[in-house]
Amino acid sequence: MTISGEWEQVREPLTSAGPVDIIIGLPTCNDAGTAKHVVTSLLSGLGKTCPGTTALLVNVDAGSHDGTPDLVRQVVEEGAPGSPVHHAMVTLQPGALDARAIEESGMPGRTQAFETIFGVAVELDSKACVIVDGNLRSVEPGWMDLLLRPVLDRNADYVSPLFRRPRYDGSLTNSIIYPLSRALYGTRLRYQSGACGLSGKLAKASLAKGFWEDVHARFGVDIALATLAVAEGHEVCQVCLGPKVYEGRRSVGDLSEVLGQAVGAVFHFMETYQDGWEGRTGSKPPAVYGPPYEPGTEMVTIHVERMLKGFRQGLRDLLPIWKVVLPPETLAKILPLGLVEDEEFRFPASLWVQTVYDFALAYHEQALHQEHLVKSLTPLYLGRTASLVLETRDGGPDEVERTIEALCQTFERMKPYLIDRWRFQ
Amino acid sequence: MSELWQEAVLDAFRETTKRVLLLFPKFLALLTFLVLGLVFAWLVRFLFVRILRGIRFDQFCERIGLVPAMAKAGMTQPASYLVGRVSFWVVFILFSFTGIDAMDLPATASLMSAIIGFLPNVLAAALLLLLGLLLANFFADAALIAAVNAQIEEARLIANMIRWAILIFTGAMVLTQLGIAKEIVVSAFSITFGGIVLALSIALGLGGRNVARDLLERRMRHKQASDDDDEDDVSHI
Repeated sequence: MTISGEWEQVREPLTSAGPVDIIIGLPTCNDAGTAKHVVTSLLSGLGKTCPGTTALLVNVDAGSHDGTPDLVRQVVEEGAPGSPVHHAMVTLQPGALDARAIEESGMPGRTQAFETIFGVAVELDSKACVIVDGNLRSVEPGWMDLLLRPVLDRNADYVSPLFRRPRYDGSLTNSIIYPLSRALYGTRLRYQSGACGLSGKLAKASLAKGFWEDVHARFGVDIALATLAVAEGHEVCQVCLGPKVYEGRRSVGDLSEVLGQAVGAVFHFMETYQDGWEGRTGSKPPAVYGPPYEPGTEMVTIHVERMLKGFRQGLRDLLPIWKVVLPPETLAKILPLGLVEDEEFRFPASLWVQTVYDFALAYHEQALHQEHLVKSLTPLYLGRTASLVLETRDGGPDEVERTIEALCQTFERMKPYLIDRWRFQ
Repeated sequence: MSELWQEAVLDAFRETTKRVLLLFPKFLALLTFLVLGLVFAWLVRFLFVRILRGIRFDQFCERIGLVPAMAKAGMTQPASYLVGRVSFWVVFILFSFTGIDAMDLPATASLMSAIIGFLPNVLAAALLLLLGLLLANFFADAALIAAVNAQIEEARLIANMIRWAILIFTGAMVLTQLGIAKEIVVSAFSITFGGIVLALSIALGLGGRNVARDLLERRMRHKQASDDDDEDDVSHI
């Protein structure tokens, strides 16, 4: 078992605090605008959900300059209604932060924060752990019940959030990460981030396997955690938390970097868990709690013509690289797409699935430098996303959900294509 | 007179026979070395190819981008085959020179020691060349992918410039290592490199001043417009 170095900062006061049942993890970085609301909501929710239970709020801060840690401490010291809550503050050292790791929340050091919170949970032998991003403006007291109850009452190990997101938001997750992981591990988990609930058992499992030393876990902590849970057969469920609103405009960085880290993590874990996914067929939905899930109706600005331009430039310039990655039959189907007019452009689901599986196989075969390989998928992803928008923009929000579901089923149906080539290529 | 002539002829004949008889074993030694060289070279090539295929060397070269670079240079055979061929010729040439040395000819007296003395330079140059090829491919691919993903029209031009800059630099280093026209190579490289930079500066400063200004203004306007409202608002993850 590894214990995070940051744990040393809070070891002394915490060991004297006695047993703690619940850990509330709060990663922050310059979140004075939302911290008070987030902490108040979580403590209020805790008081209603588990009155009398001892809890510890671990605020892992990545070097705020706006007094966020003091604000959090002040709110905790004012007291939670009904539950004794201890407070622990951990400041991540600048050297510990991985500047390359990209998070949807835009928060630096989130992975290190998770590792620290897990270390504390394991050291104190806590039953459950709830982690919520400190810059989430849409947190409500009810979230605590939704994230904690499945762990405490229904033996869930990983409680994944299900947010109502604007149309086409999370298209990388919906085009690759969710359908591919669902086809591989047989669980229909939507792979979202921002808030989650975990059992002490899962925290222990993650620390026991050198999980945090893995660079792909550090670059995609939510994907890594969800994959660990579904691949190793832990009990998982989803809770509908409503909309997800971050404070301020988020900047997650360059798309190819995002894609490289997220898809690279999924491809990497395919190697780790290959014995687990090869035999699985079909998929099952996990238990879903909370209000019924409904897709978002809001539209985001999305430039289809720019995406198609990126796709066509990829066809023109990246062909020598794609020839190494993709077999001739896949390439022969992709090439004619470059000649289609914008309005008629369609990237068929079956071709997209074949392309993603071919990239996964090339990653497995190490046909190319792995970072180059995954990043060279970006223009193809732009083509598929443009096609999704063109196919569904005149329909309602359910139309997008139906298309995503159809894509997932295609991934599952074509899984033998992957398996046949995985070991014997 | 007749006796003198007879003696001279016989002396010459004896001398030639003696020389031929002395040369014959050396010639046999040369032939033996050549035959042994062929056998050993074939054996080394066979072993190299087998071992390299066993450790999946061809796939490794494909992965690190060496195969496309070699294909561009007209070498389409598998890397293991090429290494086998090179090892064959290295072993055979070493044996051949040993054979020539065994002939004990005044012209080739110090051939072997000169070759062995130069061998480290050849090895260092070969390693430099290999490293240069690998780096050129790696950085050219990285630049190409990054530029395409940033939707820069001149992506291939940028990648090729990076590839050729590294290759030219490598070529200059290899020639310097081999000691071939050392001063000329260094001077030529400095003059060419400096000349290119100077030419670009003058071209941009004089001829393309207005074009550069227009280009920068357009870029700034485009960026400003993008920052204002034109960016995609979608979060991909």
